[in-house]
This record gives sequence, C-alpha cells and structure tokens, in this order.
Amino acid sequence: MALFEIQHLTFTYPGQQEPALKALDFSVEEGEFLVICGKSGCGKSTLLRHFKTAMAPFGVREGEILFDGRRLSEVSVREQGARIGYVLQSPDNQVVTDKVWHELAFGLENLGYDTGTIRLRVAEMASFFGIQTWFMKNVEELSGGQKQLLNLAAVMAMQPDILVLDEPTSQLDPLAAGDFLATLRKINAELGTSIVLIEHRLEEVLAYADRVMVMEEGGILALAPPRHLASLIRGNDMFQAMPVPMRIFDALEGEGDCPVTVREGREWLQQLPATEAMPEGELETKRVPEAGGAGRFSGRRRQNREEAPVIEIRDVWFRYEKELPDVVRDLNLRVNKGELFCLLGGNGTGKTTTLNLIGRIRKPYRGKIFLKGKELGQYRESELYGSLLGILPQNPQCLFVKDTVEEDLREMTGRHGDRERLEEVVEQTEIRHLLKAHPYDLSGGEQQRAALAKVLLLDPEVILLDEPTKGMDGFYKQKLAGILKSLTGEGRTILMVSHDIEFCAEFGDTCALFFYGGVVTSRAARDFFRGNSFYTTAANRMARKWCPEVVTAKDVIERCRK
Amino acid sequence: MDTFSGYHPLINFTYFVIVIGIAMFYMHPVLLAISLAGSLAYSVYLKGRRTVKVFLFGMLPACLLMMIINPLFSHEGATMLFYMHDGNPVTLESILYGIGSGAMLACVVSWFSAFHAVMTSDKFMYLFGKIIPAFSLLLSMCLRFVPRFTGQIRKVAQAQQCIGRNVNNGKIWERAMHGLKILSITTTWALENSVETADSMKSRAYGLRGRTNFSIYRFDKRDAGLMLFLAAVFCLLMACIANKQIHILYFPVFAMNRPTPAAVLSYGLYGLLCALPLILNILEDIKWRSLRSNI
Repeated sequence: MALFEIQHLTFTYPGQQEPALKALDFSVEEGEFLVICGKSGCGKSTLLRHFKTAMAPFGVREGEILFDGRRLSEVSVREQGARIGYVLQSPDNQVVTDKVWHELAFGLENLGYDTGTIRLRVAEMASFFGIQTWFMKNVEELSGGQKQLLNLAAVMAMQPDILVLDEPTSQLDPLAAGDFLATLRKINAELGTSIVLIEHRLEEVLAYADRVMVMEEGGILALAPPRHLASLIRGNDMFQAMPVPMRIFDALEGEGDCPVTVREGREWLQQLPATEAMPEGELETKRVPEAGGAGRFSGRRRQNREEAPVIEIRDVWFRYEKELPDVVRDLNLRVNKGELFCLLGGNGTGKTTTLNLIGRIRKPYRGKIFLKGKELGQYRESELYGSLLGILPQNPQCLFVKDTVEEDLREMTGRHGDRERLEEVVEQTEIRHLLKAHPYDLSGGEQQRAALAKVLLLDPEVILLDEPTKGMDGFYKQKLAGILKSLTGEGRTILMVSHDIEFCAEFGDTCALFFYGGVVTSRAARDFFRGNSFYTTAANRMARKWCPEVVTAKDVIERCRK
Repeated sequence: MDTFSGYHPLINFTYFVIVIGIAMFYMHPVLLAISLAGSLAYSVYLKGRRTVKVFLFGMLPACLLMMIINPLFSHEGATMLFYMHDGNPVTLESILYGIGSGAMLACVVSWFSAFHAVMTSDKFMYLFGKIIPAFSLLLSMCLRFVPRFTGQIRKVAQAQQCIGRNVNNGKIWERAMHGLKILSITTTWALENSVETADSMKSRAYGLRGRTNFSIYRFDKRDAGLMLFLAAVFCLLMACIANKQIHILYFPVFAMNRPTPAAVLSYGLYGLLCALPLILNILEDIKWRSLRSNI
C-alpha cells in the first residue's frame, strides 16, 4: 500500500486567480526515494508543505491527501509529528536550541518520552550519523553542513516513516551537499525510510532516486524512473537542470534507457558510431579544427597582457591571529581587464579570505596588492568602495537595508539621483518585476541579481563575487551568466570565487585553482579544464577518452554530431 | 579538568548559594577571611594567572575605596578618632565596617567569577527547567539567538562597509543613519528567520501536552554524599550562629565572639567548605597519580 496518496490536489493561495497546484495525482510508496524538481515558483515547495497539516499553507484546497490509508487531516498531530519528518532549506533557522544534544532530544521531548528512552534514541542517532564527537558542542561552532546533518538527525531521532526535504542542500558547498545526500541514501537503503526530496543539484541525487517528478506551473510534467525521464521531457526548459550525461543523451536523440551518471554516460558514448569512428590515435589530428576556438582566446589574452593587470597580488601572506596558521600563503595572482576570472577550489582553502584581502576588509602581513597599478592601501575609502570596487558578499541579503528593492536601489543613487543609470541597471539585471518586493522575499537567484544591481549603481570597474551560483537552479544560472557577460563586455572586470565547476567552465574566461592558501595554476578556462583529470567538468570526464579537449556538454554534442 | 564541575548541577548551585549567601549576609571577619582565601584559590585554579591580575588591580583598590569612603559618610559608632574639618566625627567602627564590607564585596565577586566558570548555561537551564519547563527552552533559544544576531550585524556592517555605508562612513548624522539602518534590517532578518524556526518546531510536534525535559545529568551516589556534607556543614554553622558561639557586632561598639572550642570547630568546618572544590581536585590528582604508578 502506498504511504502517501495525493488525489486530485488543487490549491490556490488567497487572493490569487491561478492555482499554485493543479489537480495533482500521485502516490509515494513505502521505502521509495522520490526526487521532485522544477523551476523556482513551479509549486514544488507548496506541494511539500501539504505533506503535514501543521505546515500546510493557507488557501483554498481541493482533493484528498491520504496518509497510510487515512485522510491526513484525521491523523493526530502527535502521530504526524513522529511519523512524518520535515527538513527545510536553511541549516541555521531550523536549529531551535543552543546545544547539539538538546537539539537531538527536542522532538522527543515534545512527544513526551521519558529520559531513559530519549537517552537511548539520541545515542542511537548520534552513532548512526557519526556525530558523537560533536555531541556536547554549541550549535554555533558547527559548519553549515554539520548543522544540516544535525537537523536531519534530530528529525530521524523521532523515527519517522517518511522524510520530506525541501532543498536541504541549497546552502551547502558541494562537498557537504554530497555528504548530506549520501546520508539520505544510507537512511533510505538501511532503514527503509521513504524520502521525498526537492533538489536542483541533480547530478548526484538522480543516481539514488527511484522516481523523479518534474513539475511545471503547478502540474506534473513527468513522473518516472530517472532512466526513462529523458524521452518524457524532451525539448523542455528543465533539461538545463539535468545532469550532463542526460543532456548529451537528449541532444543526440539517444534511444532506450538514458545514462544518469558519468560512468553510464561513458558507456553509452562508447556505443555511438561517432566515437567508434574516432579511435584514440586520431586525437592529435582531430584537435586541429578545434584549435580555432582556443586560438581566439589566447589571442585576446596576449593582447590584454600588454596592459597592466587590473588586480595584481604579489607574494601575499595572511593569517587571522599571530598564533593561528597562515590562511593565505605566498599568493600571486593577475587579473586582466574585462575578463571573468574564476577562482576555484575546495572549502577552507582561503578563497573568501583572498576576496576580503582584495576588498581591504583584511590586511596581509606580508606582500602587496595592486589595483590598476596603484597599491591598495593608497586609495581613499570613498575612491575604493565607490567607482573602483564592488563587492558582493556570500550572502547577498547582507546588502539590503530597506523594505523594497526599489527603495534599496534609490538609497544608492541618493534622492535626486541619476534615474537613467538606475533604469539602465534595472534593465541589465532583469529585476524590473521585483522592484516592489521585499528583498527578503526574493529567491536566492533573484536576491543575487538585486544585490548585483545595488553594487552596479556605484559603477565599479572591478566586481568581486563570492559564490554567486550557490543555491541557484540551472535556469537562473543561465540568466546570471548572461548578465556577467554583458558586464565584462562593458569593460568591467569580474573576479569570482566558486565551487561550481560547470558554471566556470562554460562562462569563465580564466580559471585558477586555489589550494592550501595559494593559486596552483591559472589558465584560460578551456586549457584549465582540459589539463585536469579530477577537477574538471562532467562532460570532460565522460568524453575524455575520445576527445580530451571537450569541456562542456555543448562541445561533446557538437563533436558527436560531426 | 575541574572535578567539582563534574558534579551534578544541583550540587554546584547549592554550594555557591551557601558560600555566597554566608559571605553576603554574615560579615564576620574570620569567616570573610576564610571565604576570601578559598574563593581566590579556587578562581586561580580555574582561570590561572588572570585572576591574580584582576584581584590586584580591580578588587583590591575597590576594597580600599570602600574603607575610605564609608567613614566619610557614616558617623555611627562610639569610638571617635578625630573630627573632620566640617565637624563630623570619624569613628573606628565605621572604618572597620568599611573594611568588612570591602572584603565582603571582594568575596562575592570572586565567588561569582568561579560560579560563572562552573555553572555553564546548560546546567543553569537544566535546574530552572525543572521548576519552570517553558523557561528552560526559552533560555536555550535565547542563548542560540544572541550570538546569531550579533554575528549577522557584523556581516551586514561589513557588506555595508564595502558600499561605503557603514557606521564609520560619512558625517556624524550619516553615520547614525547607517547604524540605525543596519540595526533595523537585522531585526527584520531575525523576525523573518523566526518564521522558519517556528515551522521547524511545529513540524517536530512542539506544543503537545505532556512535554518532558531531557537532560544529560544524573544524580548519583557521589552527588548524594556531597549534598549530605553540604547540608551538615551548613546546619552546624547556622546552629553556632544561632547560639551566639559565632557573632559579630559593628555598632555601637565593635564586638566579636571569643575563640571557644565550638567557634574554632565551626571556623575549621567553614574552611573545609570554602576549600571544598580545591580539596576535591587535589584528591582526584592524588588518585590519578596512584592509578598511574600502579600501571
């Protein structure tokens, strides 16, 4: 029997004409791993909130939701609390108490268990999740990934039959997100807990999922096992969000089961006549026509090199305290005018610190930083933070101080400010429809663009971005990329720190790998990814055997079509 | 690792209530001296050399100040030493009382500094959660909220700095406006986030009847033994005070009990009480040494 049965669910928010959910019909089987994806605003979060009466939004609802054969509204709060577990987006906001052990016990306290039972359950969960080492810690000391694992463990301590998760990894870095998803898989496989997960980082999760539900404008576009998904959503926008192997499969109009992981993608490519006709020996000759693209790149770079670099970092060392280890070690970096420079690297390697050094928020204890040939310390504050540097913090929310986006932008131009410039920036960042909204009500991608608009009103020559694609779906990424390209086209220089390999490969001009406090290598994007074997794009890993020069999915598709 | 902190929170709390209470309400010179010595020794053990510095440069001057100020304003007492130029007498009793209250203050302050180190927030919460369950959760949530809030203010200020709108940018009027804006948006941020926290609480069945309070503490035999000891010493001291075996009078004439056997015994017990955390630590050290030599 199905654990959850959604029958003809239609839901309309108060004051809205268009329903947010349109006649949904599906079920969640016991022990199933169901992934829901779709563009922002397609109603997936609204749907998930219906899985628990306490979370259900206000509005007009039609249709039935059955839980374990009974109507959900008839299941008691106590039973719902214990049997339906909920994990939300923000790792921070969900934590209620100040200690890890207290957080783990919170749900069980609410259900009124005695101390002995709680002790056992908490101990069980801490052991299962491997969090006994930070059991006594303050929540404040944990990293984002640890906090989210704690949230998951706190819900699992109540031993639910089903876990409902709303984009739990959107605020985590890829490594922590991978850990989290792997833990989910472990829960699903070892404990048999059903999982309903909204996720846009599909690369990893599709390999675990039993079924995938693609939503569009409040309806179900497709609901199928991942391998059968491709044919169902062929030609749809949502393909931008799918993993690279699936995108290539679709573009080449593959037949049968579609590949989901890199390994499957590789095996599938191998069968293609295009690759069969391309033995490994022919590599060198094949590379010649491709060189046109790369040549254009290096040409532009050479031309730029004659000018002085916009940002130059020479032998910079930095640490936070005298007693602490160095965070930035012997860093050298040159960023040329008009390029989109991507600084890639793992967590805690000092990338964000480097941005802070360039932004003069921190000062190096050795070495020098030059902006446009002049040493950083010699700029006056009004010069530096005015027309020279625009800095977007990792959380763009920190930039907003007003009640609407428009007021926030006005604040930058002043009361009698330059209206034309404002209009221009609004147009460029595509936020006209958001002007009246509260900045905190925007989605992650929209916030990023509004914050960018605010910084652009200062008309900076250099823009520093800290993980701009964090928590963004594929659709928003495309939009952001377009904006960034138009900015570099105006001659502005963008330096961005990122974890997002695919994004940097597709849109970056120069990429640098940051490791252990310094830049290991810095090359034109294509050369950079072509040279790496682990730290490279999924498309490259998939097709490297036949054509090592491909970097993006588009390259693979073009090569195979020839 | 402090052994005394490892005891049950109830023991920790009772202990501090007794020693701080006696020091505050019974300004007996001998008891104060014992208490001061005990509290200082324990603070030094807990926090190291910093305590000595605080004592020399903070508490000692404060005590001396009390000693000087008290006779200037209080003219009670029978033994007049001399007249000030405004005609008011300076008495021996008021000087003694000044010294006593200075020492009392030093005592209480140094006991409180030890209290702060031993009674961490979760112990405190555990104790008061027993009396008012909702209070314990509220306190826990506050303790989570405050560092988050200040952290967010710091982040927003930094972001504003980078667009030239922090509290140190511009004229005084503008600075004030920038500060106000940062504070106001951070408040909005906190309210906004609390909605999600409330969701998280609701979805974990908060608000049902019969909520229990889980704790990681257990009252064991060792705790019971120490509790018994505390109660015995406290009762004995109170009995001695009630029988006037220990008594103190500052006004009109300074008078103190004689060192009768009962008084000396209670001094000894009080000394034992004040040195208790240290004694427990030393005993533990000895135990470890013997354990190690046995291996």
